[in-house]
Amino acid sequence: MRKVLVNVSLALLLLSITSSILLSPSPIKAEVLRMIGPEDVGGAWAEVIKRFHERHPDIQVKYISGPWSTDERQNMYIRSFLSGDPIELVYMDVTWTAKFADAGWLLPLDRWFTPEMQEEFLPGAVEAGRYKGHIYRVPVRGDVGMLYYRKDLVPSPPRTWREFEEICERSSHPPDLYCIVFQGMQYEGLVCDFLEYLWGAGGEVIDTEGKVVLDSPQGLEALKFMRKLIERGWAPKAVLSFQEQHSLSAFSQGKAIFMRNWPYAWTILNREDSPLRGKVGIVPFIHKEGYESVGTLGGWGLGIARGVKDPEKAWRFIEFATSVEAQKILHFRRGAVPSRKALFLDPEILEVSPHYKDLYDIVMRARARPPHPDYPRISDTLQKHVSAVLAGVESPQQALKVMARSIEGTLKGKKKNYLKRLSLDYDLKRTLKNTLVFTSISVPLEFLLGLLIALLLNAQFRGRWFVRLSVLIPWALPTAVMAMSWQWMFNNPFGVINDLLLRIGLLERPLDWLSSPSGAMFAAVFADLWKTTPFVVIILLAGLQTIPQELKESISIDGAGPLRRFFHLTFPLLLPFVRVALIFRVIHAAGIFDLIWVLTKGGPADSTRTLCIYIYEVAFRYDELGYAIFLTVLFLFALIGVSFLIMRLTTLGYERAR
Amino acid sequence: MRKAAFFFLGILIVLYCLFPFLWTVITAIKPPEEVFSLPIRYLPKRLSVENFVEVFYKRPFSRYVINSLVVATGGTILTLALASLVAFKLRYMPVQRALMLQRWLLVGAIVPPTLLVIPVFVAIKALGLINNPLGLILSYCFLNLPFGIWMLYAAFSRIPKELDEAAMIDGLWWGGILLRVILPLARAALAVSAALIFIFCWNEFLIALTLMPDQLRYTVPVGISMLSGASIYEIPWGQINAAVTITTVPVILIVALLQRWIVEGLTAGAVKG
Repeated sequence: MRKVLVNVSLALLLLSITSSILLSPSPIKAEVLRMIGPEDVGGAWAEVIKRFHERHPDIQVKYISGPWSTDERQNMYIRSFLSGDPIELVYMDVTWTAKFADAGWLLPLDRWFTPEMQEEFLPGAVEAGRYKGHIYRVPVRGDVGMLYYRKDLVPSPPRTWREFEEICERSSHPPDLYCIVFQGMQYEGLVCDFLEYLWGAGGEVIDTEGKVVLDSPQGLEALKFMRKLIERGWAPKAVLSFQEQHSLSAFSQGKAIFMRNWPYAWTILNREDSPLRGKVGIVPFIHKEGYESVGTLGGWGLGIARGVKDPEKAWRFIEFATSVEAQKILHFRRGAVPSRKALFLDPEILEVSPHYKDLYDIVMRARARPPHPDYPRISDTLQKHVSAVLAGVESPQQALKVMARSIEGTLKGKKKNYLKRLSLDYDLKRTLKNTLVFTSISVPLEFLLGLLIALLLNAQFRGRWFVRLSVLIPWALPTAVMAMSWQWMFNNPFGVINDLLLRIGLLERPLDWLSSPSGAMFAAVFADLWKTTPFVVIILLAGLQTIPQELKESISIDGAGPLRRFFHLTFPLLLPFVRVALIFRVIHAAGIFDLIWVLTKGGPADSTRTLCIYIYEVAFRYDELGYAIFLTVLFLFALIGVSFLIMRLTTLGYERAR
Repeated sequence: MRKAAFFFLGILIVLYCLFPFLWTVITAIKPPEEVFSLPIRYLPKRLSVENFVEVFYKRPFSRYVINSLVVATGGTILTLALASLVAFKLRYMPVQRALMLQRWLLVGAIVPPTLLVIPVFVAIKALGLINNPLGLILSYCFLNLPFGIWMLYAAFSRIPKELDEAAMIDGLWWGGILLRVILPLARAALAVSAALIFIFCWNEFLIALTLMPDQLRYTVPVGISMLSGASIYEIPWGQINAAVTITTVPVILIVALLQRWIVEGLTAGAVKG
């Protein structure tokens, strides 16, 4: 008894010592209001916060520079809400509001943001902040998709799809000058682009009665038109990996006549150092003949997270950040479109941005994406199938059918019966297939390669120690970090892999590895091969070294050649090691996450999204911990089954008898 | 002839294994404007530290490094402390039973972190340790404990039991035996285990991403993955490569120094299972 007590107390002592050492350097948290936004270009937010601080010295606000990708920042907010330490000021996109409000993560702002105050803002932007009768979000900046065109190349901008096609036919000559660049990567931006084509052809995702009407002739036309842009070479294939900044960078280098983008680009294109200064015009987005042009409403607003100690202070900041003064700073420093109506007629703004008079019209007519707490799922469905159509892996007809069915399923609500849900889970099937493909390609390859390297390293030659050391390196380096390196090496046009393959003559022209489904899968397998073959080598090499030299000599004296020696002596003796290596590798390849998450994020068109990425997103993006745990347990059992199978297959008959 | 072929193959393998790292370093030491120059230059025109300076000045990268150091060191110390206690206990068990227990530990060690992240998240949240380095340290300890026990048990069982008995007769209690007799004798194994577990913690991505949502708490791998697409114009590849270089060089140094023992330790564990 005394012994047990001593044990426990010693363990506790160790624990408390380490924890106190580790906890002491962490800074004491001052009451700070945090918000996450994209990189603070032009120091606009810094200026807003500085001026706010001058007025309210008692309130600290911290602007956290997050990634440029909207989805990534949403994930950051969701993780913070789930973790119980919410980021206080929620700087959210129009599409997040319904989901965040429905989950109870936001504080209703009705008592501060009165109807009279709402009057002063753009109506669409205010409405986007309302959910089930309460207001949760004050618009900071409005946004709307539109068409940019080169005034020097196109005298009068196209208004309809047909006019647009004619100009493409006549004036574009890829690969030097494409017709259009847009946001074609599998992410939220692609949905915005798609909706403009859909609405511009008179189509809808969900009608006013809440029925899914996407699978319609209009929907088909929209998808076919987008597919045509790529097929005809009017848009570069690389748009499949483009977000806003990539489109802008291609457009500003003079690579395209048109660009679909948000208003912020106008300011950047008209900077003094911009080669396109004064050469760019904007018009409402193109539409099908006989229909009207619609732009997707974007824009950002501020809300307050539930659980904030002093919401009054948070409101003070929101009030200031949405004021005329702050909106002007955001406009002049980073081209943000104001959310207050009056500012579109403000002489100061019109002087710098004369296009604002026209913009006002477009913004007032902009449409919001379908508001639904499960919008992320609806959007994911749209993203993945539109992206699949662009990549040419799905036909428009097929994609429409699956999208409509999948969105209907989402609208019906979450099924509590997990088993039933399992059979309907389209994502699960898709990701399971990807996982199987990935595992069945990468494991045999790395096993063969690993075996060859191990056999080589078992022989004596000069400099062997250095080769052994080098083989250890990929195994020891951090996967997630090296995935960034691989992303860089597979980059087009700056990546070294294209360059090397071109030089050797294996490629005729550069490939966009990460933006085509098969290219991305190849890249993932290749990087994984590099990363994990060393593990196989280490294990097999250890096995080879346990084989006594005398045995090899005696079997050689008996007249066996190297091949016979391998199959009759080496390999059987190596089997226990083969077993260990195989089990480890299969389990870890099936459970791959880091590499793919960083390298491709599962895209394009979900072609590299594996089971574990899906499970992680179910838990931390769709906020369905229960279903995620259910899937995890199933997966675990499957892995145990596979391990036993491998065990059995690699055990010889006589061993089994023992 | 055969020797030459082997030598040549050896060079190929070295190139294959080291190339991604070498290319990262080459990109990192290029001046920023040359990173995006075409055609690609394989040797930089001049060496430059600008990318490194920018990573530290423009971004809270030093913060990430400190965070990583804290959790990796903490995780290593805690894991080794607990592992040596357990391994010491196993030493007094009948060998058959100890091996049985170890086999079960192997099963624990094989489960990929991807499957553990959700339960770990739920547990750490219940403890209120989200955004707290201690939460990550506990998780890393949980993940690496089986490996640590393995390594240390293998080392401890090589030490003759007579030593314990002699120490006991001299009046040492069991903690004293562990601290003064066993651990000093097993210090080589201890060092290798420490190095390996440190590397595992330093490299870990998924759990750090999930348990530390606050940007100021990011570890290096998470911070680097978030560097992507941070600017409107282009992804700052020069800075990313500089950050990758800084992160990987210590790992490579550790591996180079402890090469022989690492291989021994790894295989001792894996093969026994």
